[in-house]
Amino acid sequence: MSHLSEEKFDELVAAERARELEPLNDWRTIAARAREEGLIHESSSRGWVLGQPWMQAAAAVLLLIGGIAIGRTTIGLPSATESSAGNTTVPTASTEPSSSTANNVTFASVDEASATLRRAVSDYQRAAEFLASNASPGSRDSLSIYSARAAALDKIVNATESALESAPRDPVINQYYLATMGARAATQQLVARPVGLRGF
Amino acid sequence: MPIDQLDLKRAMAGDERAMQRLWSQHASHIDAVVRRLCDDPELAADISQEVWMQIFRALPSYRGDSQFGTWAHRIAVNRTLNALRKIRRIAKLEVDIEDDSGVTENDSDRTFLAESIEQAMTRLSPGARAVFVLHDIEGYTHGEIGEELGITPGGSKSQLFKARAKLRKLLANLRDESTTVAGKGKQHVAPV
Repeated sequence: MSHLSEEKFDELVAAERARELEPLNDWRTIAARAREEGLIHESSSRGWVLGQPWMQAAAAVLLLIGGIAIGRTTIGLPSATESSAGNTTVPTASTEPSSSTANNVTFASVDEASATLRRAVSDYQRAAEFLASNASPGSRDSLSIYSARAAALDKIVNATESALESAPRDPVINQYYLATMGARAATQQLVARPVGLRGF
Repeated sequence: MPIDQLDLKRAMAGDERAMQRLWSQHASHIDAVVRRLCDDPELAADISQEVWMQIFRALPSYRGDSQFGTWAHRIAVNRTLNALRKIRRIAKLEVDIEDDSGVTENDSDRTFLAESIEQAMTRLSPGARAVFVLHDIEGYTHGEIGEELGITPGGSKSQLFKARAKLRKLLANLRDESTTVAGKGKQHVAPV
Protein backbone atom coordinates (compact mmCIF):
# COMPACT_ATOMS: atom_id res chain seq x y z
CA MET A 1 0.00 0.00 0.00
CA SER A 2 1.41 3.39 -1.00
CA HIS A 3 1.96 6.27 1.33
CA LEU A 4 2.41 9.96 0.90
CA SER A 5 6.05 10.86 1.40
CA GLU A 6 7.16 12.17 4.77
CA GLU A 7 8.33 15.37 3.14
CA LYS A 8 5.05 16.05 1.43
CA PHE A 9 3.14 15.13 4.55
CA ASP A 10 5.17 17.56 6.61
CA GLU A 11 4.43 20.25 4.06
CA LEU A 12 0.72 19.58 4.41
CA VAL A 13 0.98 19.66 8.20
CA ALA A 14 2.85 22.97 8.08
CA ALA A 15 0.21 24.38 5.75
CA GLU A 16 -2.54 23.19 8.07
CA ARG A 17 -0.79 24.78 11.03
CA ALA A 18 -0.57 28.10 9.22
CA ARG A 19 -4.11 28.01 7.89
CA GLU A 20 -6.23 30.87 9.14
CA LEU A 21 -9.59 29.73 10.43
CA GLU A 22 -12.59 31.86 11.13
CA PRO A 23 -13.89 32.00 14.71
CA LEU A 24 -16.60 29.45 15.39
CA ASN A 25 -19.00 32.00 16.86
CA ASP A 26 -19.62 35.69 16.53
CA TRP A 27 -19.07 38.05 19.43
CA ARG A 28 -22.78 38.63 20.00
CA THR A 29 -23.25 34.96 20.77
CA ILE A 30 -20.33 34.93 23.18
CA ALA A 31 -21.42 38.20 24.77
CA ALA A 32 -24.97 36.94 25.28
CA ARG A 33 -23.65 33.92 27.15
CA ALA A 34 -21.27 36.05 29.18
CA ARG A 35 -24.07 38.42 30.07
CA GLU A 36 -26.29 35.52 31.13
CA GLU A 37 -23.59 34.31 33.46
CA GLY A 38 -23.00 37.76 34.87
CA LEU A 39 -19.50 37.94 33.45
CA ILE A 40 -20.25 41.22 31.72
CA HIS A 41 -20.97 44.06 34.09
CA GLU A 42 -22.71 46.94 32.44
CA SER A 43 -21.35 49.23 35.14
CA SER A 44 -17.82 48.36 34.11
CA SER A 45 -18.08 49.93 30.70
CA ARG A 46 -16.88 53.43 30.27
CA GLY A 47 -20.40 54.76 30.21
CA TRP A 48 -20.77 54.55 33.95
CA VAL A 49 -17.97 56.99 34.54
CA LEU A 50 -19.95 59.84 33.08
CA GLY A 51 -23.29 58.42 33.97
CA GLN A 52 -24.24 60.88 36.66
CA PRO A 53 -24.77 64.61 36.17
CA TRP A 54 -22.69 65.61 39.17
CA MET A 55 -19.85 63.45 37.87
CA GLN A 56 -20.13 65.03 34.44
CA ALA A 57 -20.01 68.48 35.94
CA ALA A 58 -16.96 67.66 38.02
CA ALA A 59 -15.24 66.16 35.03
CA ALA A 60 -16.01 69.11 32.81
CA VAL A 61 -14.67 71.61 35.30
CA LEU A 62 -11.52 69.59 35.80
CA LEU A 63 -11.01 69.21 32.08
CA LEU A 64 -11.57 72.92 31.61
CA ILE A 65 -9.02 73.83 34.26
CA GLY A 66 -6.58 71.18 33.13
CA GLY A 67 -6.91 72.08 29.48
CA ILE A 68 -6.35 75.75 30.08
CA ALA A 69 -3.40 75.04 32.36
CA ILE A 70 -1.84 72.79 29.75
CA GLY A 71 -2.51 75.35 27.08
CA ARG A 72 -0.90 78.13 29.06
CA THR A 73 2.22 76.14 29.70
CA THR A 74 2.56 74.75 26.21
CA ILE A 75 2.12 77.99 24.26
CA GLY A 76 5.00 79.48 26.20
CA LEU A 77 3.36 81.99 28.50
CA PRO A 78 5.93 83.41 30.94
CA SER A 79 6.89 81.14 33.76
CA ALA A 80 9.32 81.33 36.62
CA THR A 81 11.52 78.60 35.22
CA GLU A 82 12.13 80.06 31.81
CA SER A 83 15.74 79.82 30.78
CA SER A 84 17.27 83.11 29.78
CA ALA A 85 20.19 81.55 27.93
CA GLY A 86 18.46 79.07 25.69
CA ASN A 87 15.10 80.75 25.52
CA THR A 88 13.67 77.35 26.38
CA THR A 89 10.30 77.24 28.01
CA VAL A 90 9.83 74.50 30.52
CA PRO A 91 6.20 73.64 31.06
CA THR A 92 5.26 74.13 34.67
CA ALA A 93 2.67 72.38 36.71
CA SER A 94 0.70 75.53 37.17
CA THR A 95 -2.72 74.90 38.59
CA GLU A 96 -3.85 78.49 38.66
CA PRO A 97 -7.42 78.52 37.45
CA SER A 98 -7.87 80.85 34.52
CA SER A 99 -11.60 80.98 34.82
CA SER A 100 -13.55 82.18 37.78
CA THR A 101 -16.27 79.77 36.81
CA ALA A 102 -14.31 77.03 38.50
CA ASN A 103 -14.57 78.65 41.90
CA ASN A 104 -17.46 79.15 44.30
CA VAL A 105 -19.96 77.41 42.09
CA THR A 106 -23.07 76.04 43.67
CA PHE A 107 -26.04 74.43 42.02
CA ALA A 108 -29.63 74.48 43.12
CA SER A 109 -30.72 71.63 40.87
CA VAL A 110 -29.54 68.92 38.55
CA ASP A 111 -30.86 70.89 35.59
CA GLU A 112 -28.82 73.91 36.59
CA ALA A 113 -25.71 71.76 36.97
CA SER A 114 -26.35 70.13 33.61
CA ALA A 115 -26.69 73.51 31.93
CA THR A 116 -23.44 74.64 33.52
CA LEU A 117 -21.83 71.46 32.34
CA ARG A 118 -22.85 72.10 28.76
CA ARG A 119 -21.53 75.66 28.95
CA ALA A 120 -18.29 74.45 30.50
CA VAL A 121 -17.74 71.88 27.79
CA SER A 122 -18.51 74.45 25.13
CA ASP A 123 -16.14 76.95 26.78
CA TYR A 124 -13.46 74.31 27.00
CA GLN A 125 -13.73 73.43 23.34
CA ARG A 126 -13.64 77.06 22.24
CA ALA A 127 -10.70 77.80 24.53
CA ALA A 128 -8.80 74.82 23.14
CA GLU A 129 -9.48 75.93 19.57
CA PHE A 130 -8.41 79.46 20.38
CA LEU A 131 -5.18 78.32 21.97
CA ALA A 132 -4.46 76.00 19.08
CA SER A 133 -4.97 78.75 16.51
CA ASN A 134 -2.96 81.29 18.49
CA ALA A 135 0.13 79.27 19.25
CA SER A 136 3.15 81.47 19.60
CA PRO A 137 5.43 80.87 16.62
CA GLY A 138 8.42 81.74 18.76
CA SER A 139 7.87 79.12 21.43
CA ARG A 140 10.47 76.36 21.27
CA ASP A 141 8.69 73.31 22.55
CA SER A 142 10.28 69.95 22.85
CA LEU A 143 8.87 66.72 21.54
CA SER A 144 10.73 64.85 24.23
CA ILE A 145 9.00 66.83 26.94
CA TYR A 146 5.58 66.09 25.51
CA SER A 147 6.49 62.45 25.05
CA ALA A 148 7.65 62.24 28.65
CA ARG A 149 4.47 63.92 29.77
CA ALA A 150 2.36 61.51 27.70
CA ALA A 151 4.21 58.57 29.23
CA ALA A 152 3.69 59.95 32.74
CA LEU A 153 0.01 60.52 32.05
CA ASP A 154 -0.27 56.96 30.73
CA LYS A 155 1.03 55.72 34.07
CA ILE A 156 -1.44 57.86 35.96
CA VAL A 157 -4.27 56.55 33.79
CA ASN A 158 -3.12 53.01 34.51
CA ALA A 159 -2.94 53.69 38.24
CA THR A 160 -6.33 55.33 38.43
CA GLU A 161 -7.91 52.60 36.33
CA SER A 162 -6.50 50.00 38.69
CA ALA A 163 -7.87 51.96 41.63
CA LEU A 164 -11.25 52.17 39.96
CA GLU A 165 -11.45 48.41 39.91
CA SER A 166 -11.52 48.47 43.70
CA ALA A 167 -13.51 51.64 44.07
CA PRO A 168 -15.44 52.20 40.86
CA ARG A 169 -17.62 54.97 42.22
CA ASP A 170 -15.11 56.94 44.21
CA PRO A 171 -15.52 60.55 43.03
CA VAL A 172 -11.95 61.64 43.75
CA ILE A 173 -10.39 58.81 41.77
CA ASN A 174 -12.87 59.39 38.98
CA GLN A 175 -12.01 63.07 38.82
CA TYR A 176 -8.31 62.34 38.60
CA TYR A 177 -8.99 59.70 35.99
CA LEU A 178 -11.07 61.96 33.80
CA ALA A 179 -8.76 64.92 34.16
CA THR A 180 -5.79 62.77 33.28
CA MET A 181 -7.56 61.32 30.27
CA GLY A 182 -8.27 64.84 29.03
CA ALA A 183 -4.70 65.94 29.58
CA ARG A 184 -3.39 62.82 27.88
CA ALA A 185 -5.57 63.42 24.83
CA ALA A 186 -4.33 67.01 24.61
CA THR A 187 -0.72 65.88 24.98
CA GLN A 188 -1.08 63.21 22.36
CA GLN A 189 -2.32 65.87 19.97
CA LEU A 190 0.77 67.90 20.72
CA VAL A 191 3.03 64.95 20.11
CA ALA A 192 1.31 64.18 16.83
CA ARG A 193 1.36 67.77 15.61
CA PRO A 194 4.17 68.86 13.28
CA VAL A 195 6.97 70.92 14.79
CA GLY A 196 6.04 74.57 14.88
CA LEU A 197 2.37 73.86 15.45
CA ARG A 198 2.70 72.47 18.96
CA GLY A 199 1.41 75.48 20.76
CA PHE A 200 -1.53 73.42 21.88
CA MET B 1 0.52 40.17 19.58
CA PRO B 2 1.05 41.39 23.14
CA ILE B 3 -2.09 41.79 25.15
CA ASP B 4 -2.94 45.22 26.43
CA GLN B 5 -2.74 44.97 30.21
CA LEU B 6 -5.49 47.51 30.50
CA ASP B 7 -7.76 45.35 28.41
CA LEU B 8 -7.05 42.46 30.72
CA LYS B 9 -7.86 44.52 33.78
CA ARG B 10 -11.01 45.84 32.22
CA ALA B 11 -12.06 42.41 31.04
CA MET B 12 -11.57 41.06 34.54
CA ALA B 13 -13.91 43.79 35.75
CA GLY B 14 -16.50 42.69 33.21
CA ASP B 15 -15.99 45.41 30.61
CA GLU B 16 -17.60 44.07 27.45
CA ARG B 17 -15.47 46.04 25.03
CA ALA B 18 -12.27 44.83 26.64
CA MET B 19 -13.57 41.27 26.58
CA GLN B 20 -14.45 41.64 22.93
CA ARG B 21 -10.97 42.88 22.13
CA LEU B 22 -9.44 39.82 23.82
CA TRP B 23 -11.79 37.58 21.92
CA SER B 24 -11.09 39.31 18.61
CA GLN B 25 -7.36 38.92 19.00
CA HIS B 26 -7.44 35.26 20.00
CA ALA B 27 -10.65 33.70 18.72
CA SER B 28 -9.23 32.39 15.47
CA HIS B 29 -6.32 30.68 17.22
CA ILE B 30 -8.32 29.37 20.18
CA ASP B 31 -11.23 28.21 18.06
CA ALA B 32 -8.87 26.49 15.63
CA VAL B 33 -7.67 24.02 18.23
CA VAL B 34 -11.26 23.35 19.29
CA ARG B 35 -12.28 22.79 15.69
CA ARG B 36 -9.38 20.42 15.04
CA LEU B 37 -9.96 18.35 18.15
CA CYS B 38 -13.64 17.90 17.23
CA ASP B 39 -14.63 16.66 13.84
CA ASP B 40 -18.15 18.09 14.15
CA PRO B 41 -18.43 21.84 13.40
CA GLU B 42 -21.63 22.29 15.39
CA LEU B 43 -20.17 20.55 18.38
CA ALA B 44 -17.01 22.63 18.01
CA ALA B 45 -19.06 25.83 18.02
CA ASP B 46 -20.81 24.77 21.22
CA ILE B 47 -17.57 23.80 22.88
CA SER B 48 -15.97 27.04 21.77
CA GLN B 49 -18.65 28.97 23.64
CA GLU B 50 -17.87 26.98 26.76
CA VAL B 51 -14.18 27.56 26.26
CA TRP B 52 -14.63 31.32 26.08
CA MET B 53 -16.89 31.35 29.10
CA GLN B 54 -14.22 29.45 31.00
CA ILE B 55 -11.53 31.85 29.83
CA PHE B 56 -13.55 34.83 31.05
CA ARG B 57 -14.44 33.09 34.31
CA ALA B 58 -10.81 32.25 34.93
CA LEU B 59 -9.43 35.68 34.00
CA PRO B 60 -8.96 36.74 37.63
CA SER B 61 -6.64 33.76 38.08
CA TYR B 62 -4.42 34.78 35.16
CA ARG B 63 -1.16 35.98 36.68
CA GLY B 64 0.76 36.75 33.55
CA ASP B 65 3.27 33.94 34.09
CA SER B 66 2.79 32.96 30.46
CA GLN B 67 1.49 34.73 27.39
CA PHE B 68 -2.24 35.24 27.51
CA GLY B 69 -2.63 33.28 24.28
CA THR B 70 -0.73 30.32 25.72
CA TRP B 71 -2.77 30.42 28.91
CA ALA B 72 -6.05 30.61 26.99
CA HIS B 73 -4.92 27.87 24.62
CA ARG B 74 -4.41 25.52 27.57
CA ILE B 75 -7.91 26.24 28.76
CA ALA B 76 -9.22 25.53 25.27
CA VAL B 77 -7.48 22.17 25.09
CA ASN B 78 -8.55 21.13 28.60
CA ARG B 79 -12.10 22.23 28.11
CA THR B 80 -12.41 20.58 24.72
CA LEU B 81 -10.99 17.26 25.87
CA ASN B 82 -13.26 17.33 28.92
CA ALA B 83 -16.27 18.06 26.72
CA LEU B 84 -15.36 15.22 24.38
CA ARG B 85 -15.03 12.88 27.35
CA LYS B 86 -18.41 13.94 28.70
CA ILE B 87 -20.21 13.16 25.49
CA ARG B 88 -18.31 9.88 25.25
CA ARG B 89 -16.46 10.78 22.11
CA ILE B 90 -13.48 10.01 24.23
CA ALA B 91 -15.03 7.62 26.70
CA LYS B 92 -11.71 6.32 27.96
CA LEU B 93 -8.91 7.92 26.15
CA GLU B 94 -6.32 5.70 27.76
CA VAL B 95 -7.99 2.58 26.42
CA ASP B 96 -8.47 4.21 23.05
CA ILE B 97 -4.80 5.01 22.90
CA GLU B 98 -3.55 1.70 24.20
CA ASP B 99 -5.60 -0.58 21.99
CA ASP B 100 -4.64 1.32 18.84
CA SER B 101 -8.26 1.31 17.68
CA GLY B 102 -7.81 4.81 16.43
CA VAL B 103 -5.21 3.92 13.85
CA THR B 104 -6.11 0.43 12.67
CA GLU B 105 -7.42 0.28 9.17
CA ASN B 106 -10.99 -0.73 8.48
CA ASP B 107 -12.66 -1.56 5.17
CA SER B 108 -13.86 1.94 4.43
CA ASP B 109 -10.35 3.30 5.00
CA ARG B 110 -9.03 1.10 2.21
CA THR B 111 -11.03 3.04 -0.37
CA PHE B 112 -11.11 6.45 1.28
CA LEU B 113 -8.93 9.05 -0.37
CA ALA B 114 -8.53 12.32 1.46
CA GLU B 115 -7.82 15.62 -0.23
CA SER B 116 -6.55 17.40 2.84
CA ILE B 117 -5.17 16.83 6.30
CA GLU B 118 -8.44 18.06 7.76
CA GLN B 119 -10.39 15.52 5.78
CA ALA B 120 -7.98 12.72 6.58
CA MET B 121 -8.13 13.47 10.30
CA THR B 122 -11.82 12.55 10.31
CA ARG B 123 -10.66 8.92 9.95
CA LEU B 124 -8.70 9.03 13.19
CA SER B 125 -10.28 8.17 16.51
CA PRO B 126 -10.73 11.13 18.87
CA GLY B 127 -7.75 9.97 20.92
CA ALA B 128 -5.39 9.54 17.99
CA ARG B 129 -6.68 12.75 16.52
CA ALA B 130 -5.94 14.56 19.77
CA VAL B 131 -2.36 13.26 19.84
CA PHE B 132 -1.76 14.25 16.23
CA VAL B 133 -3.36 17.70 16.57
CA LEU B 134 -1.64 18.53 19.82
CA HIS B 135 1.79 17.40 18.66
CA ASP B 136 2.02 18.13 14.98
CA ILE B 137 -0.31 21.12 14.70
CA GLU B 138 -0.21 22.77 18.11
CA GLY B 139 3.38 21.98 19.01
CA TYR B 140 2.87 20.18 22.32
CA THR B 141 5.60 17.84 23.51
CA HIS B 142 4.85 14.20 24.21
CA GLY B 143 5.21 14.90 27.91
CA GLU B 144 2.60 17.64 27.75
CA ILE B 145 0.29 15.44 25.71
CA GLY B 146 0.74 12.67 28.24
CA GLU B 147 -0.39 15.03 31.00
CA GLU B 148 -3.40 16.22 29.02
CA LEU B 149 -4.55 12.77 27.97
CA GLY B 150 -3.46 10.72 30.94
CA ILE B 151 -1.06 8.55 28.97
CA THR B 152 2.69 8.07 29.02
CA PRO B 153 4.96 10.10 26.75
CA GLY B 154 5.95 6.82 25.11
CA GLY B 155 2.31 6.02 24.44
CA SER B 156 1.84 9.42 22.88
CA LYS B 157 4.90 8.93 20.68
CA SER B 158 3.75 5.51 19.56
CA GLN B 159 0.25 6.77 18.83
CA LEU B 160 1.58 9.68 16.84
CA PHE B 161 3.76 7.44 14.72
CA LYS B 162 0.79 5.27 13.84
CA ALA B 163 -1.53 8.22 13.29
CA ARG B 164 0.92 9.82 10.90
CA ALA B 165 1.33 6.56 9.02
CA LYS B 166 -2.42 6.26 8.65
CA LEU B 167 -2.80 9.84 7.53
CA ARG B 168 -0.03 9.41 4.94
CA LYS B 169 -1.84 6.40 3.59
CA LEU B 170 -5.17 8.26 3.46
CA LEU B 171 -3.46 11.06 1.58
CA ALA B 172 -1.66 8.78 -0.85
CA ASN B 173 -3.60 10.18 -3.76
CA LEU B 174 -1.56 13.34 -3.40
CA ARG B 175 1.58 11.28 -3.98
CA ASP B 176 1.98 12.13 -7.68
CA GLU B 177 1.88 15.78 -6.92
CA SER B 178 4.40 15.24 -4.18
CA THR B 179 6.85 13.59 -6.53
CA THR B 180 6.93 16.71 -8.65
CA VAL B 181 7.92 18.82 -5.68
CA ALA B 182 10.05 16.23 -3.94
CA GLY B 183 13.08 17.71 -2.33
CA LYS B 184 11.67 21.23 -2.33
CA GLY B 185 11.09 22.84 1.03
CA LYS B 186 11.93 19.68 2.89
CA GLN B 187 11.52 20.44 6.50
CA HIS B 188 10.33 18.49 9.48
CA VAL B 189 8.34 21.03 11.37
CA ALA B 190 6.94 19.01 14.21
CA PRO B 191 8.46 19.29 17.66
CA VAL B 192 10.26 16.24 18.95
